[in-house]
Amino acid sequence: MKLSEEARNILETSMRINNTSDVERREIEDVISRMPDDRVLLYKNVVSNPIGDLPRYNIHIRIQHMLTFVTFLVLAFTGLPIAFFEHFWAVPLNSVLGGVEVTRVIHRTVAATMIFAMVYHIATITLGTLIRVKQKHFEILRSMIPTMKDARDFKADMLYFAGRNMQRPEMDKFMYKQKLHYFAAAFGNFVMIVSGSSFIFPEFWASILPAGIASHFQEMMRLSHPHEALLALLVIAFWHWYNVHLAPGRFPMQWTFLTGKITREHQIEEHFMEYLRCLVELPEERAYLLDLLAARELDQSDKNKEGVGAS
Amino acid sequence: MKWIMDQKMFLPCVLLISLLFVNSPVMAFEDDEGCLLCHKYPKMGRITEDGARRSYYVMPHVFGNTVHRNVPCTDCHTYIKQLPHREVKQGVTCNTECHSIKNPATGKNFSHKPIYEKYKQSSHFRPKLASGHDQDKPYCVTCHRNPVYNPEEVGPPKQITDRCVICHEDEEFVKDWYKHTSRRINEVKRESGEIILLCSSCHGDKRLVERHLAAAKKEGRQLGRKYEHAVESYEDSFHGKVTKYGFTRAANCLDCHAETTNYFLNVHLLRPSRDKLSPVHTSKRVETCQRCHVYADENYAKLDPHPSKKLSDNPFAYYADMVYGWVGDVVFVLLIALAAFETVGRKRDGVGWRLFHGSSWWGRSKRGRDRID
Repeated sequence: MKLSEEARNILETSMRINNTSDVERREIEDVISRMPDDRVLLYKNVVSNPIGDLPRYNIHIRIQHMLTFVTFLVLAFTGLPIAFFEHFWAVPLNSVLGGVEVTRVIHRTVAATMIFAMVYHIATITLGTLIRVKQKHFEILRSMIPTMKDARDFKADMLYFAGRNMQRPEMDKFMYKQKLHYFAAAFGNFVMIVSGSSFIFPEFWASILPAGIASHFQEMMRLSHPHEALLALLVIAFWHWYNVHLAPGRFPMQWTFLTGKITREHQIEEHFMEYLRCLVELPEERAYLLDLLAARELDQSDKNKEGVGAS
Repeated sequence: MKWIMDQKMFLPCVLLISLLFVNSPVMAFEDDEGCLLCHKYPKMGRITEDGARRSYYVMPHVFGNTVHRNVPCTDCHTYIKQLPHREVKQGVTCNTECHSIKNPATGKNFSHKPIYEKYKQSSHFRPKLASGHDQDKPYCVTCHRNPVYNPEEVGPPKQITDRCVICHEDEEFVKDWYKHTSRRINEVKRESGEIILLCSSCHGDKRLVERHLAAAKKEGRQLGRKYEHAVESYEDSFHGKVTKYGFTRAANCLDCHAETTNYFLNVHLLRPSRDKLSPVHTSKRVETCQRCHVYADENYAKLDPHPSKKLSDNPFAYYADMVYGWVGDVVFVLLIALAAFETVGRKRDGVGWRLFHGSSWWGRSKRGRDRID
């Protein structure tokens, strides 16, 4: 496989960061040269364990996801019936847990847990980033920070879905969709915390805001809390759950949030740049790939030789 | 059984047995004036000129357990001078003095006058026989019925009465005063839900509100900005939502609109917020908010306690809500479209939904690059 310039840069950076020896470099270059140019053939033929093959998320991220996941559902379950109290479904939902006197306490307690998860997440990524920067291991493309490449990837992916491109773009550890989702969730979290705090501490917010703004702010928060909750529920139900449960290839469930591992076919299809890093970091993956290429007669170098012989 | 069939004994036996089964109304109050001669009949009533059905039936066993049971009928129905009485024009007004009941503290005749005087100053005031739009306003009996003692309180605990009768001697007197006091201790305030229901019965009546808006417009009178949305906006507020579900510590209508110097007196003096007497007048709002929100300041007092998203009331909230609605709709459509587009695009290359197995790419690609079996 002839790597694109961007893929080549990532591979070189990864080998530098991992202090890859010359012997390993040759091994890696050899594996890559044997990979078919059509990446689709690669991810169609690998064997993937549905539980996951390659590392993706550490234990901290999985705990944070679990906390956010559970608290989000409980918050929606206890909060929406209060906000939309006039709807027929709100009455039994409010009553089932013992009435508003109980649900409001649950809602606020769980909200505090969600805020803890957010603080835990910020602390983790900040410390992780600082350590990587100090060790000169930080790669912006491997992070959640949006870049122009994401816009290009989005366009290329749309063309692939439309049948105009033959392959999906070479996307990094976090693709455009995940970055959009992540920042939407972060923004939603921020709005929910600020608006929620304006319900619990209205006097505080009124005292720190200018008189002309205080009332409008409170009104905006009254609107934002349920609207943002509903928006978050829509995004989770129709996008996040589609992406991790319903999309073909991800059905019935991605186990990444529990095992921290991603399937091989998914990694190569949607996060090819990260797969290149895996080839650098995991010798066993290189060995697996060589075996696969030989077994499935996908070895590009053999085909090149055959081509040269034939000519 | 032959003796029963004896003609002499038959009638007395039937009468005796009937007496056992008859739920005879016990004269629980003294009817010295003989009003029950007529008013004991359940069907005593009439259809008025405007078609309303009026019942004049007095249930002695019920009335005997009400707070007014010791007040002679003519203390309130002062216009009754003879029996049968003449046609009643106005009926009872609640500011009448009860000549038979003395206020033990002052020795004066008992009266609801202090409350009535407050009510006269409130924007709810109307004469007993009102005309025009005043008919929509509440008279005393709109909010107050003749309250019945709680049945559980009919028999006061023996350990209390035993102590009282030592000095007061008369057991009936002790029981009466016990009920008088205990009812007022146990039912200090109406529950929030009851207050909201009571206020909403008029302020939430669309036709009544529209009638008054139209009349005020015609007469050039000013009504409050929230008059039109008072109930709806309260229900939509945090106070309203949690109160609806039984939370008792959130503010109800009277908690803000009535002065608390003497709650029981001042709930009868409700004034519009533009009136300086009203606790929600701009000059008193901070103080009123601080009843519950101890850290409330000037800014806090400017927050809208009756939030509404009506264009006529709050254009800011109206447009913000509209934009939020659009964003929700657009996001929903886009997400569904994107998911569908992605599914179709990837399926073209042979991906499928598989419960088990190590690959999802078993389908045939339309581009001729299938999985190698």
